[in-house]
Amino acid sequence: MATSHGEVPGEPTKTVTSLVETAAATIQGFPPISKIHQHLCAFHFYADDMTRQVEAHHFCSHQTEEMQQCLIYDGPSAEARLIGVEYIVEEGQFLALPDEEKPLWHSHEYEVKSGVLFMPGVPGAVERRNLEKLSKTYGKTIHFWQVDLGDALPLGLPNLMMALTRDGQLDDKLAQDVENRYGVSFTKERDNRAYMSGPDHGIHPLANANGKGLKMELSQINLPALNFVPRVFV
Amino acid sequence: MASSDEKPGPTPVAGGEGGTPPGRPMSVATKLVEKGASMLQTLKPVRQMKQHACSFALYGHDLGRQIETHHYVSRVNQDFLQCAVYDSDQPSAHLIGVEYVVPHRIFETLPSEEQKLWHSHAYEIKSGLWVSPGVPEMLEKPELEWMTKSYGKFWCTWQVDRGDRLPMGAPALMMSPQGVGSGSVRPDLVKSRDERYKISTEELKESRLEMEEPEWIHPNADYWKQHGKGFKVDVVETDMKRRAPFP
Repeated sequence: MATSHGEVPGEPTKTVTSLVETAAATIQGFPPISKIHQHLCAFHFYADDMTRQVEAHHFCSHQTEEMQQCLIYDGPSAEARLIGVEYIVEEGQFLALPDEEKPLWHSHEYEVKSGVLFMPGVPGAVERRNLEKLSKTYGKTIHFWQVDLGDALPLGLPNLMMALTRDGQLDDKLAQDVENRYGVSFTKERDNRAYMSGPDHGIHPLANANGKGLKMELSQINLPALNFVPRVFV
Repeated sequence: MASSDEKPGPTPVAGGEGGTPPGRPMSVATKLVEKGASMLQTLKPVRQMKQHACSFALYGHDLGRQIETHHYVSRVNQDFLQCAVYDSDQPSAHLIGVEYVVPHRIFETLPSEEQKLWHSHAYEIKSGLWVSPGVPEMLEKPELEWMTKSYGKFWCTWQVDRGDRLPMGAPALMMSPQGVGSGSVRPDLVKSRDERYKISTEELKESRLEMEEPEWIHPNADYWKQHGKGFKVDVVETDMKRRAPFP
């Protein structure tokens, strides 16, 4: 189902507040944010439930030639909710990860080659120059806000997310909704991207959750002895 | 892998120095392609981040592990902030997590199991730890007063402070500085921050003395204070509900 745009509870921003913010913004520069140069639209699903799928708008910057970090929003507008993060690494870096870490990461080859991942507003030729590299990378995506449940606030634990890896996984209605809104055709793009290839060593068997389901669990632990403070007045 | 795991054994991506992702600086070709794309895309959600604040946070499973944080704040409405959190204010900053902030009246509506994941901000503001570098205090005052009565939920996805050169493991729940014992921020961290920005946390604390405090802090927030226990997050295997083969 398409992500619902439930209202975040709260009063509209007061004029005074927004004026203060604008004034502050002009004084400060924001280097880590200014580096964000790319908007990608793709789909994620929950690592324990493929039927729950979310349209994910990535706003990415390169940390190095081989590594990107992305803020994920549920839409492209100014009102969009910040719902997660994704980190993207090239094949070499993925292969160097410990084996117990690899399952938390997903491959990008299918998303790119099938055409379902795209860069809104960017002409095909420029888009493809970016995506041919992306096709060989791996990503780690964590969401904090279950907007597909209609949650008005980011409740609960973080969720590990996975990416599409083959035909038949993506919900048709969700796909069509995105195609209509952006005026794109996934099947047409698939033809344009047929020349692209995935990781040079093939998709690692441990990637994509090692084919299993994964979820997060919370537990209480005793804090290290030095930390523990007996009940004191606040 | 748990958020509270010991630092993963040395590999090219973990246990390294300085938490720099392995890799080359961006090539000219990549920069040009990105530039071409960015000129065509409006990146509206990112433009909503209109404030930078520097503060400190503690790992919820080990309060002795403390980090300097840089929040890039976006106000969604009068009662909700969403923040991208980095480990510095430089172009090379690592994206280490996300924090959400709500005022007391919204916090009160949350189920109690949810409230335990949140932390209060009163001490952090009044002590002068939370600061918007370069912005005159007077300009900041209404925002700070609002923040004093708010609660935050902060997930850290990249534990750079333990040397991880890439984000490893499950996210960690973070806590805020508090006025008692283990909630205090190490003086050397504060000193280093103050010197870099040429500010004085002590002086900020003085100037914020008169600032309104919340009447009371909800006992479900800052869970460790009342219960002496922290939270850790693990990734565990489970069945995946599927509509097609995977992978």
